[in-house]
Amino acid sequence: MIRGVVLGQVWATKRNPRLAGKRLLLVAEVVEDAAGRRRSGRVVVAADDLDARVGDAVVVAFGSGARNAEEACSRDVLSDAAIVQIIDSE
Amino acid sequence: MILGRVVGQVWATRKNRWVEGKKLLIVRPLAWFRPDHECGHVVAVDPVGAEVGQDVVVCLGLPARRALGDARHPVEASIAAIVDRVEVHADAAADGGPRFEFAHGSEPSGLDVRP
Repeated sequence: MIRGVVLGQVWATKRNPRLAGKRLLLVAEVVEDAAGRRRSGRVVVAADDLDARVGDAVVVAFGSGARNAEEACSRDVLSDAAIVQIIDSE
Repeated sequence: MILGRVVGQVWATRKNRWVEGKKLLIVRPLAWFRPDHECGHVVAVDPVGAEVGQDVVVCLGLPARRALGDARHPVEASIAAIVDRVEVHADAAADGGPRFEFAHGSEPSGLDVRP
């Protein structure tokens, strides 16, 4: 999983049915190193069930973890990244 | 998933029987995340009907295989959606740092940058 911040949203009408109804958000990865907290430059499209908003700090899960976010043990969802937490504080 | 632009199509006569009848597109990532090594393009199966010049969302890995109905497909990228519009709030992630911008020449065609 990575920590990121929501940049915006991707709108798509024509989709694979296995991705139907999902909000797709653009999330920028945020890393922390000696220089402080900053964006890594990597941006991912993540499915969102939690109604995350622009500017929210979020945790994104990848791979089968992302599919489990949609439905436990789901193998049919066409998603390799999903927002699983909106961070309140850390 | 990654955001990319369809830049071409691949045709092949001799191919693995599992990719028989599948349309294969060349996609150049606009916003890069995966694979871990930065790459110029990915070849993705297209069950959705995308065309050259359109922006798409590409799903990678096992979910891409599953989407074809059988995890045995020798495939690791699948077009998940055709993008109409991308709305970005460039200051959302500034956090004292620079505004977010797509790399020069990599802006999605339906890009809408909000203040």
